[in-house]
Amino acid sequence: MLNYTSPIKELKKYTGLTVGEISPLMKLNLRGKSRDFLTAIGKNINIILPIEANTSSSSENYTAIWLSPDEWMVVSNNIDSKDNNDYEIEELLFNKISKTNLGSVTNVTDQLVMINLSGEKIFDLLSTGCPFDFNDFKSKKGSSTQTLLAQIDVIIHHNKINSVNLFVRRSFSEHLMSWINDSASRL
Amino acid sequence: MFLINCPYCGERDQSEFIAGGEAHIERPKQPTELSDDEWAEYLFMRKNIKGIQFERWNHAHGCRKWFNMIRDTSNDEIKLIYKMGEKPPKG
Repeated sequence: MLNYTSPIKELKKYTGLTVGEISPLMKLNLRGKSRDFLTAIGKNINIILPIEANTSSSSENYTAIWLSPDEWMVVSNNIDSKDNNDYEIEELLFNKISKTNLGSVTNVTDQLVMINLSGEKIFDLLSTGCPFDFNDFKSKKGSSTQTLLAQIDVIIHHNKINSVNLFVRRSFSEHLMSWINDSASRL
Repeated sequence: MFLINCPYCGERDQSEFIAGGEAHIERPKQPTELSDDEWAEYLFMRKNIKGIQFERWNHAHGCRKWFNMIRDTSNDEIKLIYKMGEKPPKG
C-alpha cells in the first residue's frame, strides 16, 4: 500500500447503514485460462478459484472473486501492514504464474478502494443507483457482481449477511462516497 | 432500456453494454490485391437495415467479454445471443 491520503476519512453511520473504507488490503488481479493455471493457483495459495459466474470463494486468508471467465481478483481478508508494499503471495504467484506463462498476476492494491457497507438497508441503498437485480444476490452469501453504481464501475461482493464490499477505482472513490452520503440520507 | 443476457454473467441492464457494430465481417485474404473501392467496402461499409441485424456487443461494465447478438433493430427484440467464434445459425 502506497502512502495515499484516502478521501474517505471516517466511518459514516446512517439509520440501518454503516459505511467505511477498509485499508490497506492486498488485491491481486489474476488472468489465465488453462487448467494448469487453476491448479497452480490452488496449490500455491490454497484457494480454489470459482468457475461459476458471479460467485466467490474464500480461504482463511484470502477471498477470490470471479470477474470474468478468465479473470479473478484475490483480496486478503485481513488488514495488511501500512508500510509494506510487497506481498508474499504476489511474488510467489508472479514466479509460478507470470514467469511460466500460465497467466498474469497484477497487483491492483492501490488501484481499487474497498468500501464496506453494513446494515439491513444496504440493498435499498444500492438499488437507488444501480440497474442490477439484487434479489438472488441478496439471498446468497459470497455472490459477487460487476456493475454500474451511479454510473461508476464497481465490483460488489456480498461477504456476509447484511454486509457488502464495494471495490471502486481510487479516483472515483470520493465521488462515490458523496453519492452514498447523499443517497443514504434519503433512505 | 432493455435487458441483455450476457453469455457469461447472465441477464443485465443494457447500460452495462456497448454495441460494437456489425458482426461476421471477414478480413479479405489478400488485401494487397484489392482496389481502393473494395478496401473501403470492407473497412467502412456497414449494413444499417430495419429488421434483423447481426451485431457484436461487449459487456463493458461487467465481464468485458465480447459476444454476438442477433437483434431486430425495429423493436429491439433480441433473437439470439452466442459467443465469439461461434457460427451464426443459417436462415
